[in-house]
Amino acid sequence: MTGQSGAQSRVTSGQMMSDTPETGPQTGSQAGQASADAHRVARRSLLLGAAATSAIVSIRPALAQTAGSVLNCEIPVPERGKGMFIDANGELVAPDTPGAFPPSPRDFTGEEVRQALRGRTLPGTSPEQSQAYLNYIRRLQAGQSGFTCYASLQMPGR
Amino acid sequence: MQDDEASRFAAVQADAILREPLDGFEAVYHRSSGLTHLLAEPAPQLLDLLTDTPLTVAEIAGQLEGAYDLVPDGEADIPIAEIVAHRLEELAALGLVLKVAGKGPGR
Amino acid sequence: MRHQCSISVGPARFRIGSAWRAPIEQLRRLYADYPGGACGNDGAADFTVRLEPVSPLRRLFRPSVAIAGDYMLPEAAPLALRHALLAAEMGMNLQMALGWRRHLLLHASAVERDGRAVLMTGQSGSGKSTLSALLGEGGWRFLGDEFVLLDPATGMVHPFPRMISLKNEAIGAMEAIVGDPSRFGPLLADTPKGAIRHLRPAADAIARQGETVRPALLLFPRFGHDRAIRPVGRDEAFVRLTQASTNYVTLGERSFAGLTALIGAVPSLAIDYRSGTEAQQLVEQLFAEQAA
Repeated sequence: MTGQSGAQSRVTSGQMMSDTPETGPQTGSQAGQASADAHRVARRSLLLGAAATSAIVSIRPALAQTAGSVLNCEIPVPERGKGMFIDANGELVAPDTPGAFPPSPRDFTGEEVRQALRGRTLPGTSPEQSQAYLNYIRRLQAGQSGFTCYASLQMPGR
Repeated sequence: MQDDEASRFAAVQADAILREPLDGFEAVYHRSSGLTHLLAEPAPQLLDLLTDTPLTVAEIAGQLEGAYDLVPDGEADIPIAEIVAHRLEELAALGLVLKVAGKGPGR
Repeated sequence: MRHQCSISVGPARFRIGSAWRAPIEQLRRLYADYPGGACGNDGAADFTVRLEPVSPLRRLFRPSVAIAGDYMLPEAAPLALRHALLAAEMGMNLQMALGWRRHLLLHASAVERDGRAVLMTGQSGSGKSTLSALLGEGGWRFLGDEFVLLDPATGMVHPFPRMISLKNEAIGAMEAIVGDPSRFGPLLADTPKGAIRHLRPAADAIARQGETVRPALLLFPRFGHDRAIRPVGRDEAFVRLTQASTNYVTLGERSFAGLTALIGAVPSLAIDYRSGTEAQQLVEQLFAEQAA
């Protein structure tokens, strides 16, 4: 990981050590100094804290990060303004193509698509229609509406 | 607080966590959970002490006392080992140290 | 959608669709000199933003603009049509905040001089946005007023100079300084956040928005307090930045590495001030003293 940077040394923080010289052995009364030489270790103080007081704070994500979960992203099937139908392979075809499905009247949330990828049917669709829509979604490329939402479903831990 | 089987604690695998000392605290990233924690004294020092070999709370507390001038938090009559036990349990609960329940000869 | 506009800012490209023409025309005018021109309709976009009527009837009758897109906040209240430009800008912010993963995103403004960047982070009302606008007109290159894009691998900041969102008193202050009226969007008088007016960044900020910069100073500004400078410990700076980030947790290990590297490499200071002038002086002074 990164080492200490000299940039910080120009600013005295309340937490940092007093301006004593860094070289040479320290006496036991120099509280908080951490230098050690080959022949004598000066023990620094260590705050033990109370038994019941935690020594750990876990970083909680700020609100925007929780709102950024897949629950809040949506995937239109297909992208708006295409006016085309979707065949069983998820490709866009002309509206009068036999066996093709019409555009979905509503967008699907990331959560709904994630469930569908695990075997559920997309809400409001027949099994065949759901498969066709999912195949369309799987074919999404960067730049198409819904791609970033779909990509975020693929991230580990989702 | 100690159970009769004398729980032991050991360090997690080296690449399980990333540690970065900051002023007064240490930031620790726990890879498998993706969580970041800030550790105040004496937690980072406990992480420094632990190795692959599981140690009892008494052993760890003894090492801590040997290495540092311990400053209790005004509760001078609470045994150091008890405070250390709490810190170790806290670290273990987050996956930052390994707790090994042992039936070996405890202290 | 009826009306479309694609806009590139920094590393991101947005496709804005709108049921109404007016906001698209406003975007076209403001983003005219951006890469690819304003409202180029070609090429892939990273995000789609849609300005939609709340219901089909409401496109025409008491029109109300709902912000939609790849990422949405379902509980967000719609805006009046006269504020549609604000809706477009908020929509773009929302896509970045919720969906951008190529950089660590910090709620911060930034300016650059001599190849070094000053990052200013804080809550709404801290003055970071106005301060970056003032500095951008005073010899600094404006890098962004809403988001700082930090590459966690290299530590470099990528400019993201969108329209600067001036609020309330800052509007008059910048109108007095910026000589070219065409750089301003319409005055949006009564938005939910008060009066807002958008300001196009200076020409050099737009022209050089592909040039990444190394951060050299991290400031925590606070408007409305007596002039003061306080050091900020690295632990406090680290925690404040995790809270100021919209994707710290999402990016996982990369964020940890990127933020700890940033905190280790640049000094962190809190500054309090009562006026824009005082703030500019503080930044100039600290940049001269502290920035490596």
